[in-house]
Amino acid sequence: MDKKDFPMNKLSGPKTEPLNITISDEDIYQAMQEISGYLDITPGDFKEIYSHAYKHAVEKIARSITAQHIMNNEVISVRRNTPLLDVARIMAEAGVSGVPVIDTAENLAGVISEKDFLYCIAGRNTQSFLSIILQFIENKPGIVQALEGKKAEDIMTAPAITVAETASVIDVIKTLKKHAINRVPVVDQNGHLRGIITRANLLRVPAGLEAD
Amino acid sequence: MIRQYLKKMQGTTISPPGVNRTEILCSWIGGFLGIATVGYINEKLCNGTGMIMLIGSFGASAVLLYGAVKSPLAQPRNLMGGHILSALIGVTSYQLFSSHIWFAAAAAVATAIALMHITKTLHPPGGATALIAVIGGDQIHSLVYIYVLVPVGIGAFVMLIIALLVNNIPRSRRYPEFWF
Repeated sequence: MDKKDFPMNKLSGPKTEPLNITISDEDIYQAMQEISGYLDITPGDFKEIYSHAYKHAVEKIARSITAQHIMNNEVISVRRNTPLLDVARIMAEAGVSGVPVIDTAENLAGVISEKDFLYCIAGRNTQSFLSIILQFIENKPGIVQALEGKKAEDIMTAPAITVAETASVIDVIKTLKKHAINRVPVVDQNGHLRGIITRANLLRVPAGLEAD
Repeated sequence: MIRQYLKKMQGTTISPPGVNRTEILCSWIGGFLGIATVGYINEKLCNGTGMIMLIGSFGASAVLLYGAVKSPLAQPRNLMGGHILSALIGVTSYQLFSSHIWFAAAAAVATAIALMHITKTLHPPGGATALIAVIGGDQIHSLVYIYVLVPVGIGAFVMLIIALLVNNIPRSRRYPEFWF
């Protein structure tokens, strides 16, 4: 069957600028009229200065909001030696798709995500969730065997990608984007786990600050 | 009330940033070529004719034309309009009030400013052009309204041509921002 036999929904909307400065020469001209006295600047120059100043202001605000401001303080975490089945239970109960792993000194040791479980069950080359289901149907006890006897530290991703408490929102966003991850633990300067930032936390950032 | 009045004298903001070395060099070259051209014409063509091309207010125009290229004060409309209207006002003021030079001078400059504002041609050197028409001495006085054309009109025009040629060479510069 040809591709065009399927109805295609165009999902991509109009492309929006991250910093949409819709100020026109006319707006500035009007504003200049409201100020009595001669202004030694053209509307064009003012527009240029305005757009630069706007960018600087946004950057300044973005830098003043740090990881500390938007992170979740109460993090569900597991220990290095927590059995994997317990880890799975903890994650399922809390409804999270990933948890930090901490060692006995309360330092962050790594992170376990659903993906790590998938890899553990079906190997690193797993293409999709469906392939694991198939595997499961074909070889029922396999999945339990794969998890049994293992501990958090056996499958965790380590060292974990982290951000400092003092990192700016921009840096947090960059980190998430760069490593294509959905959550990043926040650590203090001693490496202690202080919180976690998920992509949902970024919704707390005022609009207009989504750095590209 | 007096407190508020005095408070205004404190200023409200920081002084704008300075310019880079390229800008300084471009300004120097522009200023040199602009005045050199008018000065050369003055020396080669006007010598012995009783005419004059180079007047003091062109030095001020050079500051704007080659040193503050983006300023509205430096645009062609302001340069030409400001000089020509101010010259008219200056000559007229001298004709009317030559018995009281101090008054003629003040009236010329003040009226020039007002007329430049009304016509949206404010160009600070115009004030000097108006003043020179009054206090420029016998050579200027003898020109009467020719002063408006030579040196003022032609001189300003030559400076404009040089500004168009020179200010558009550096990548970081363009001229004019607007014509009229």
